[in-house]
Amino acid sequence: MYSIETRDLTKKYGDFVAVDHISFTVKRGEIFGLLGPNGAGKTTTIKMLTGLTPPTEGDALVAGFSIVSNPIEVKSRIGWISSEVILDDDLTGWENLEIQARLTGVKNWKERATELLKYFGILEFKDRKAGKFSTGMRKKLEIAMALLNSPEVIFMDEPTIGLDVNTRATMWNLIRQINKDYEVTVLLTTHYMEEADSLCNRLGIINKGRIIAMDTPEELKNKYGGDVIEIELKPGAKLNVNLENTQVTDSRVRIRVNNAESALMDLIRAVGGDNIKGIRVNKSSLDVVFINLTGGTMEEQEFDARRFYAMIRRARR
Amino acid sequence: MMDRLYALYMREAKRIFRSVYMWIVLISQPVMWLIFFGSSFSGVPKQVLISFFHTDNYIAFILPGELATSTLFVGMFSSMSLIQDKRFGYLKRVLITPTPKYDVFLAKVLGGMTRGLIQAPILLAVSVVLGVRMNLTPLSIGVLFLSLAFVGIGFSSLYSIFTLTTADWQAPGVISNLINLPLMFSSTALFPKAFFPSWLKLISDVNPLTYAAELNRGMLLYNDPSWNYLLYLAVFALVMLSLGSVLTNKFLYAE
Repeated sequence: MYSIETRDLTKKYGDFVAVDHISFTVKRGEIFGLLGPNGAGKTTTIKMLTGLTPPTEGDALVAGFSIVSNPIEVKSRIGWISSEVILDDDLTGWENLEIQARLTGVKNWKERATELLKYFGILEFKDRKAGKFSTGMRKKLEIAMALLNSPEVIFMDEPTIGLDVNTRATMWNLIRQINKDYEVTVLLTTHYMEEADSLCNRLGIINKGRIIAMDTPEELKNKYGGDVIEIELKPGAKLNVNLENTQVTDSRVRIRVNNAESALMDLIRAVGGDNIKGIRVNKSSLDVVFINLTGGTMEEQEFDARRFYAMIRRARR
Repeated sequence: MMDRLYALYMREAKRIFRSVYMWIVLISQPVMWLIFFGSSFSGVPKQVLISFFHTDNYIAFILPGELATSTLFVGMFSSMSLIQDKRFGYLKRVLITPTPKYDVFLAKVLGGMTRGLIQAPILLAVSVVLGVRMNLTPLSIGVLFLSLAFVGIGFSSLYSIFTLTTADWQAPGVISNLINLPLMFSSTALFPKAFFPSWLKLISDVNPLTYAAELNRGMLLYNDPSWNYLLYLAVFALVMLSLGSVLTNKFLYAE
């Protein structure tokens, strides 16, 4: 049983392809993550899956209904949590819940809302204006709103962006809890490796609008992992040796090895200690997976984000 | 079905009633017109006033016009409210639910109508204090509110239509600059059209503000309203509302 099934889902803005024929499935009850740098197409994917914007090509079944031919049915079976926390700050928590309940067509919403506020431990604040809530409480209220209509799938767009470390950990626990207690499928996007690693049952790594790998975090690390040694060369220094599994960008050399500790000395000798300005070791992690798959770090890929948004803006005009 | 519109409209209404600044605008603007502009002819001899305005109190003359005009003026806030929802992403939240786009539009327009209607009892009370004698019956008050509701719906729709596709804060201000003054001065809200040049008369004769001013003037001052004018306003409201709903479904996007 799949909660989400996409087929060649594509979104173009003018000539620019924001999401490029992505196909993936998310099983019922899974926490599935789309991991990628800013501008990779994560938010656009969510916009299509929630019926906010129609795909240029392809289709997806969400909770069993097509986002192209039956978006209304999809919308009544999903919940959504934005990256920036969108509430009406002038209204109370309770009033925010009421509007959401009526918009999603929930009968007996008062009982459901009370139960959810109790679950998240914010019932006593229900008559306080949402603008006066702390960041953590606002997140909780937003999740409560997303759960009101007992959705089959919840979409979370960068759920922990801008949160401090403690609140982020609390959010992770909350996401795990609601996934279990309310049996809701979660599709989240993130550009935090630790988040994807600790939270998601399965991951799709997305870069430049394409899903370049998809599996459990463990399998991804097994397949594309390994340690990465990064050597920064001194200005003017040249690499005179031929090494396997190596990428060279400007003055930076990345070498993929099975075990960094044992390979390090040989490597320094081969490159020549005088040529080296600095050395960094990345132990096997999703960072390494990403580097191995794309040939660069997330930060380097992110540089494209600015150009991406500029292109979108141009295309919209 | 109506549940969605109800929820969105209640949101608008609560935001209106809870905003101190909204109250200040709703009360001060029309009252200032009435007191300052309305007093500008107070030294004119009675015969002149009667021959020009068919009443010896200029405030009584502009009251019906001012009620309609200030309903037009506050129509701007429905556009602002829509733009705010785009800016803060609230529109995304709404459009991810199974809510049709035209419900968003209708809620904004009803909010605009509400702002206009709040002004009516305030203005009536101030006029009474200023010594205006009016024909106040349940019927005349009912017709006044109904006609102002039509005016509010019509012009709030117009405002929202103009700013449907933009998220620019400044757009409503610009639109209000372009439509408020021409509509106000080309209507008979402030002056009778007897001395208008013929081109201005032409505009005046299709301007809904004229119909609202004349209808309520006839109702409140002479107890002799032209019911066709009410019909004209109803058609105006209905046309704008339908046009806006169709355009919203087509052109409104969350960002």
